[in-house]
Parts: sequence; structure tokens; C-alpha cells
Amino acid sequence: MAKSNSAEARAGWLLAAPPAVYAALLLAAPLATVLLYSVLTGEKGAVSTPFTLSNYAEILSKPVYKAVMWRSLYVSMLVTLTTVLLAYPIAYFVSFHVSPSKKSLWLFLITIPFWTSYIIRVSLWRTILGYDGIIDSTLISTGLMDSQLNILSNGVISIIITLSHAYAPFAVLPIFVSLEKVERPLLEAGQDLGESKLMTFLRVTLPLSMPGVIAAVLIVFIPTVGDYVTPELIGGGKTPMVANLIESQMLKQRDQAMGSALAVTAMLIVGIVSVVFVLMNRRFIGGQK
Amino acid sequence: MTFSADRPNMIEFKDVHKYYGDYHALRGINGTIKAGEFFSLLGPSGCGKTTLLRTIAGFEDISSGAVLIDGKTMAGVPANVRPTNMVFQSYAIFPHMSVQENVGFGLRRDPRSAAEKARAVEEALEMVGLKGYGKRAAHALSGGQRQRVALARALILKPKVLLLDEPLSALDKKMREQMQVELIKLQREVGITFVLVTHDQEEALVMSDRIAVMFEGEIAQLADPETLYRRPNSKKVADFIGTMNFIPCTILSEAGDKVEVDAKGLGKVALDIHQAPPPRGETPVVGLRPETLTLLYPGQTATERETAGVIDEVIYFGDMTYYDVYLGGTDTEVRLSMRNVPGRPVLDVGDKVRVAWSPEALVLFR
Amino acid sequence: MSKAPALRLYALVYLLVLYAPIIVLPIFAFNDNTVVSFPLRGFTTQWFGEMWADPNLRIALKNSLIIALSTATLATVLGVFAARSSVRYAWPGKAPVMGMIMLPLVLPEMIVAMALLVVLLSIGVPLSIFTIILGHVLICMPFAVAILTSAFQSLDRSLEEAATDLGETAWGTFRLIVLPLVMPGILASFLITFTISIDEFIISNFLGSGRPVLSVYIFGQFRFPAKVPSMLALGTVLVAFSVCLLATAEYFRRRGIAKAGGKDTGGFL
Repeated sequence: MAKSNSAEARAGWLLAAPPAVYAALLLAAPLATVLLYSVLTGEKGAVSTPFTLSNYAEILSKPVYKAVMWRSLYVSMLVTLTTVLLAYPIAYFVSFHVSPSKKSLWLFLITIPFWTSYIIRVSLWRTILGYDGIIDSTLISTGLMDSQLNILSNGVISIIITLSHAYAPFAVLPIFVSLEKVERPLLEAGQDLGESKLMTFLRVTLPLSMPGVIAAVLIVFIPTVGDYVTPELIGGGKTPMVANLIESQMLKQRDQAMGSALAVTAMLIVGIVSVVFVLMNRRFIGGQK
Repeated sequence: MTFSADRPNMIEFKDVHKYYGDYHALRGINGTIKAGEFFSLLGPSGCGKTTLLRTIAGFEDISSGAVLIDGKTMAGVPANVRPTNMVFQSYAIFPHMSVQENVGFGLRRDPRSAAEKARAVEEALEMVGLKGYGKRAAHALSGGQRQRVALARALILKPKVLLLDEPLSALDKKMREQMQVELIKLQREVGITFVLVTHDQEEALVMSDRIAVMFEGEIAQLADPETLYRRPNSKKVADFIGTMNFIPCTILSEAGDKVEVDAKGLGKVALDIHQAPPPRGETPVVGLRPETLTLLYPGQTATERETAGVIDEVIYFGDMTYYDVYLGGTDTEVRLSMRNVPGRPVLDVGDKVRVAWSPEALVLFR
Repeated sequence: MSKAPALRLYALVYLLVLYAPIIVLPIFAFNDNTVVSFPLRGFTTQWFGEMWADPNLRIALKNSLIIALSTATLATVLGVFAARSSVRYAWPGKAPVMGMIMLPLVLPEMIVAMALLVVLLSIGVPLSIFTIILGHVLICMPFAVAILTSAFQSLDRSLEEAATDLGETAWGTFRLIVLPLVMPGILASFLITFTISIDEFIISNFLGSGRPVLSVYIFGQFRFPAKVPSMLALGTVLVAFSVCLLATAEYFRRRGIAKAGGKDTGGFL
């Protein structure tokens, strides 16, 4: 139908209004509230003025907070590293060594575990890794070991195993997509010019697939920092990460101001790390269409 | 080829302007399309021809001016009630419907009985040569068949104007040529005004009663194919339609309806004023189509003018040979085309030749 | 090019590890032992009986279904609005508004949950199944928008123009052309948001004020070692159900792409 630009803008706005208003009311407004609360004083489930930065000062000074923040950060960095390193060969395999008609099936197989209950998957790792659990009982009954490994007792390692497993598909997919975009004649050209297969990979394939690797890093890193279920179930509450800390401040200590400040700090840290990471890899992004 | 000018106007453009933000897409379009005419909008991509077509259909608002269809202004008339139908470049065949559902789509609000509508669909399919294809799934059709379904779907509504947006561009060369002929026949049969958008000058010349050549949002020339080809009104139009040699010249005198020029390599020529379109303030050149120049073989003499030359390049095409020739001992090089017939050997680079030409074939751009 | 035995072996091991918990699930769900460890003791269906015998499970299941159906419907409807608007129309401020709608994808769920909780408590909305739905719609909407955007993108704009050109009104064009062609995307969006909602734990736990819903129930039960086998039984059922739903969703998505004449470019994400 005939539409001038302003009529089109109006139609677009009207259509987008319901979801936009929904997101504004239930996401933007709450986030703004959290931001506001973080500079107030909290006590027994209520907040009061005056504005103060004391919550942030406390986060920066108290070793408990610093320890949890630091743990969240290095756990999720290790998870990201593990996940992406393990995912790359799979993405490469599916992109370069699986016939085109079977690629969808492989991707489907890789994504299925993601769509099965997260709680159940995480809980299962507890029974797999735990004292006399599946790994222990297998090792002992086959005679490989004579005492329990009890991997679960090491909270951080268990958390890393569980989260790396949970986020595997998130890492495979973006890398696969970027590998698919690498033009095959380019590789043949590389080898035609006398490059070895390894050199072709290092000089052509890897740099061209970096946008996917960067996406994978962000997609895994951002949500793992804020994971709640795994530290709670696997770490048994003894190795809390930032989400557990926020929850405990908000609900158990009933200090909404402190909880809000922790949430804002967590978002800031995630944001800064992500932006720095993207800037460090700037040269790989945008060069490819 | 000439089109009777006494037919009534079907479409009138009155100083039509279209802006997309700062971009001036249509810059004052004026002109009329006659009832029953096969009209083409021809131009390079981005010249505004598709935009102009879409202002007729009602998919594009105009910023100022007026578009009239059959004497009525189309301002505020939405696309779904305009007396026009369109064949889209992608054909826009509804993929989830059968051929007959596609063709009968526009009859949904038609008060006729289902049986009558079914007959209308069958007739429309027959008209485009797809009799018996009604039950087929739309996605199972070839490109040419999709094109025909799109035609039947638009024509079944008996529009006053059928709009065709580059309808043949997706077809291969052979299919395209076949469809060109079929479209011409179909248009004569139904008598509906056809407006075709194309970037293919050959297609426009073959099919149209009249052509509007567009550049940068303006109509550069609106004329019948022969006039466009023989008397282009600017160097740009001449260059876009077919091939033309441009030869630098100086204007010696201009008196009454005669212009005398001195063309480099050709010498002094007296031209009729109708060979000189209105001046544009450009460096003067005379234009000459390759087929209006003829190589003279031994024993032949020129009926009008003759100029000596040297062959610089020979391009052999089977039925034709193109020669690039330096004229009259100057650096003026012209291309000329010769049909290859028995007793007319293909000449070689460096051969000295005589070239015959007629002052009547010249056009002066200045 | 296709022969790479080491890579192939790696891929198989990777898949095996990826599926390890899911493979473990039925093995121990049918194992006649309260302790989840090797060696296996024999076949039993007792855990399935025990699982179903718990009335709390049925309450939780009912609540979860209500939440997931409402969430899937609302998120998909809102997703249709957002996706259609962003694909079809140009309007100022589109990028930030769409960014805001998609934001929950990159926000830790705990932060979304806590932010919502703070606001709901401060304006005095009592926590209930309804507040869970509010939160779920928020986090499911980005997935719906992503799926539906690709569905609307594979729709050729000229199809709509053709319908209008042939005399249809805007509504008629939407109903007769747009809706049938994006229907597979709508179904896929519905199924996927349904699955996400059933699985979701944090919002269900903190915005429901202890209302029993499936994920919260499972979370609680896994804390008691004696309940683990019956939870494995429940997990087996849920996994089987999810796989069926996903296969259906994938089927519709592909059919949609095939219908619109497009090219398949991969999975859901």
C-alpha cells in the first residue's frame, strides 16, 4: 500500500509497541530501579535516601565480595576457554568433513542436549562426579582405582566441568556458521600456492573464522558469569558465584541496596570484559562479509 | 511502428516528484501513456523507472505532482483499488497455493458463482498457454511457467493497465526472445495498456509502441522506437540505445533550417535542422550508427559521400563483421558493420578502404 | 577432504560426552538400586511409579503447563509484533528498541529475576504463577523474535504487494499470504518458548514465592539422595518429551523455509 516515510514509521512503531512497552515496563524499568537502589541505603527489606556510594565502596573493600567476584570471573573465563577450544574442532569437522545434506542433522544432534532440562543435566553431573558416583564406581569396579576420586569435592573443577558441558552447543554453532562462510576456493588457492594444510588453516581458515570464535566467547562468557544453579547444586553452596551472592543479599540479608549494587557491579564487569575482548580482536571483525 | 496519437490518454504524469529523504528519485516527470499502447520505461538501474512504475500501481507515494489513470487522479487511492495489475520481477507467485488458486486470487471478492470463476481461471490459463496446469503446485513450475501464471493472474482482473516490472530479466536468452513475441501478441489480443520496465534497450525496441528513456529520475526522451534510434535527442540517449560513433566537429554556419559542420575525417557536411536536437551547451559532435557506414568494394561507388580510410581492427561475428576504421587520414576512428555475403571477403587490418555514408544519417549533438 | 579419522573420532567422543548425562538418565532410571552407581543391579520400573505417586509432582506439572502455555502464547504473539515490525518497516529508534527486547539474551537471569522482584515487591504485586509468567515472557521473547525474524525475512515482500495489487486489503493480505507462510515459524517459536519456560528455574523459583513448578520441584528433590532415582525417571520422561517437541519444531521450521523457497542455514540459534 502507498505509504510515505512517516506513515511507515508510524505503522512500524504501532506494531512494535506491545513488545516494546512490555520490555520497557518489565525490563528497562526494573533495571533502572536496580541502578537507583544501588546508590541508596538498604535495611531490612527497604531502601532509604540519601544517595550514597557506600555500597560500591564496600564491594571494593570487603574481601568476601572481591573473592566471589574474582571467582565468578575466572571460573567463567576457564569455562569459556575450555568450551571454545573443545568446540572448534567439532565445528570444523561438521563444516569441512560432513556432507552438506548431513550438516543439519549434526547440528541438531549437538543442540538437543541444550534443550533438555538444565536442572536435570546439572543435577546429573552431581551424581556422575560425586563420592561413589558414576565415575568413582566405574573406576573402582573396573579396578583402575582403589579409592574414590570424589571430583565433586573440588567445587571449582566440578563447576567448570558442568558449565562447559552445558554451554557446549552455544560455542559450536557460531564457530560453525563462520566456518561455513569461509570460501572453499580460497583454501584451494592457499594450497595451490604451496602452503601446507596446517599453514593454510593458520593463515586463512582460522583468521576468517575468528568472528565466530569471538561470538562464541561472548555467548559462553556472559551467561556463565551469572550462573546460579550450578554453584548452588554442584558447589553445594560452598563455592558461591556472583548470582548466588546477589540472591543471598537480596533475599537472605534483605539488603536490596547492596544486592542491587552487586548486580550493577556484575553487569559492569561483564560489560567491560566483553568490550575489551572485542576491542582486542577488532581486526578480525568486519573484514569479512 | 508509429502509434496513432489520437487515442485517449490512459496514464498522465504531471510534474511528478519523489524524494526518499534527501534522495531525489523522480525529478519532475511529465508525459502521457495512451490507451492500448505498449509503453516501455527504459533506463539503467537506479534511473527511477521502477519507482515510476510503482507510483502507477500505488506502491509508492509521490512527493508532489499528480498521476492520473483514465482521467482520474490517483492521490489517496490505495493500490488494492487501482485499475492496474502488476507482473512482478520475481513473479511473486504465492508458494502455498496451486496454479489455479494463484490465478483466481483476485476473484475472491468477485460476485460471480464458483463455477463461473473456475471457467474464468481456465480461460486465463489457456490465454497464456497453460491450459490444464491449474492443479499444479506453484513451486513446481519453471521460470517461464511462473511468468505465465503471473500474467494470467494479473490479466484475469481485466485491468485498464498492466504493469510489468522487468518480467523477462530472470529468463534465459532463448526463453526471453520467445516471451517477447508472446507478450506482443497477447497485448494486441487483449488490447490492454501495457507498461513495461526494462533496462534492456533491445527488448524495449522490439516490444514497444513508445519508449520513455530515463536517466537520473528524469525522462530524457519519449518517442517511438524508430525516432529514438534514428534521432536520439542527446548523446546520452544515443549511447544507451545501440551503438553510435561520435565524431568531433565544428559548426561552420547556421542559417534557416540548415546547419553546416566540419566533421573531423568526414569533411564539410550540410545538415537539416531536424538532424540537430536542441543545443545543450556540449562540445559539438556528429553521431553516426555503424550500419549507416558501408565499405566500398572494388567497382562499387558511393551514392552520396565517400571517405578514404584504413582498417584498424576486424571483429568477426559470423553473419556480420565489425571494422574499426580511421577516416580520411585523421585519428577519427569509427566502427562500421558489414553483413557477410558471398563475394564480399572479410578484409584485413591495415587495408586501405573507401567508406560510403549519407549526410542524412548524421545527428548533431552540441 | 572427507577423510579425517582423528577428527571423526574426536567428534564421536565429543558427542558421547555431550550426551553422557542423557544416556545416564534412562540407565539409572530403570536400575533397581537407590544409589546411582555401577554396577547395575537389575531392571525395575518402580521409580516411575514412585515419581508419579507424589501428589506434589502433579501440582507442579499442572502449574508448569499453565505457565508454559501462557508464556509460549504471549511470547510468540509479542514476538510476531516485534519481528514483523523490524523486518517490514523502517522507523527511527528501531535498533535501541529491538536491542532492549533482545537484552535478556545477554543478561544473567539472576539479575533479570532480582530486578523484577524488587519492582514487584515495591509496588505490592503478590508473587504467584502470574508473576512467573511475566518473567518467563520477558526471557522467552528474544527467542521468539529471533525465530520469527528469520521467518518474516524469508518472506518475499513482493508477495504481499502482489496480493494488495490483486485487490486484497491489508488485513486480507496478512491473513491469506503472510500468516500461512510464517505459520511454521510461529509453531517453532511456540514450541521452543514452551520448552524454555518448562525448563526455567531461577525466575520460577524467585518470582513464584515457593509455588511448586516442575523445575523448582526437581531442584528440591535432588537434594534428597533417596529421591534421586525417581527424579531420574522424571528426567527420562522429560527428555523424551523435549526431543519430540524439538523434532517437531525443527520439522516445521524446515518446512517453512522450503515453503518460502529459501535455503536452510542451520539450526535454531
